Amino acid sequence: MTDLRIAAVADIHLGSDLSGQYRKRLEDIEHRADVLLVGGDLTRHGTATEGRIVADELHGLPIPVIAVLGNHDYHSDADRKIVQTLRDAGITVLDDDAMTITVNGVRLGIAGGKGFGGGFAGKCASEFGEPETKAFVRHTREIADRWRRAMKDLDADRTIVLSHYSPVKETLMGEPPEIYPFLGSYLLAEAADAEGADLFIHGHAHAGMEQGVTPGGVRVRNVALPVIKHAYAVYCLDGEGQ
Amino acid sequence: METPHYVAARVQRVLAEDDRTTELGIRVDVRGEHVFLRGQVPSEKRRRVIEEVAREATPGLRVHNEITLVEVREPGEEEHL
Ligand SMILES: [Fe+2]
Ligand SMILES: [Fe+2]
Repeated sequence: MTDLRIAAVADIHLGSDLSGQYRKRLEDIEHRADVLLVGGDLTRHGTATEGRIVADELHGLPIPVIAVLGNHDYHSDADRKIVQTLRDAGITVLDDDAMTITVNGVRLGIAGGKGFGGGFAGKCASEFGEPETKAFVRHTREIADRWRRAMKDLDADRTIVLSHYSPVKETLMGEPPEIYPFLGSYLLAEAADAEGADLFIHGHAHAGMEQGVTPGGVRVRNVALPVIKHAYAVYCLDGEGQ
Repeated sequence: METPHYVAARVQRVLAEDDRTTELGIRVDVRGEHVFLRGQVPSEKRRRVIEEVAREATPGLRVHNEITLVEVREPGEEEHL
């Protein structure tokens, strides 16, 4: 049985003060992992300059790097520019779509994007009332719908969802409950459960916890740097599909 | 005098919105004349800038910087799922 070794991190929030430092921690990553997933909040202010720093930090690794953006990466309206810079540096950026790579003969499908908030079943916002509220909730619903379509089209032995926002409450424990609706949405978990996934990676909740599980049993890992406290976490999946 | 509760909320907002900080993860508590900053950041420079921005936002109050530095460690043990 072949193991897939998935390195994952989020919320690296690189800026000029950290330039070159994160890269040092990625040395030898090819001996520890087959692929590196980066779950958004790559920058602090979402400027094109910071996007460049991220690209320099992550480019040219001996293993494939797949990333999504986070809310910070949208702050300066340079998100498209950042995506382009990263892609030019050979980094795959998922934007509500999916891709497959073959690792040790196993087809690994990765689907996702930034995600968004809204809260969790029973305690969530709904598409009702003011246009601002409806727009907020609709944004998440449309994202979840795109993920479902992307996952449906995947032909893979193993599937991972990569997101910035959380699909469950468990991995938010430690954050004030009042802000849960801004940290994630159950719609993201519902999409993963409906289409079947082996792992759900997210970040965003700096004060949260690493481990959680969706209502449908998909393992969730919050890999925000302040949570995992290591350069990246490594998760092993066995290569035999479901 | 501004109620401590609102001072804390305002400082927290300034730390999130000021371009020098854009920091969402710092806890701000105000007790009387004292402003406490707590949380973790990855560089000494960020720690100092956060304190500076908080000071500017709270003239006349004493800012206590209890923010700690997190060092990004080498990758640890792998987890088998
Ligand atoms: Fe973050
Ligand atoms: Fe975030």
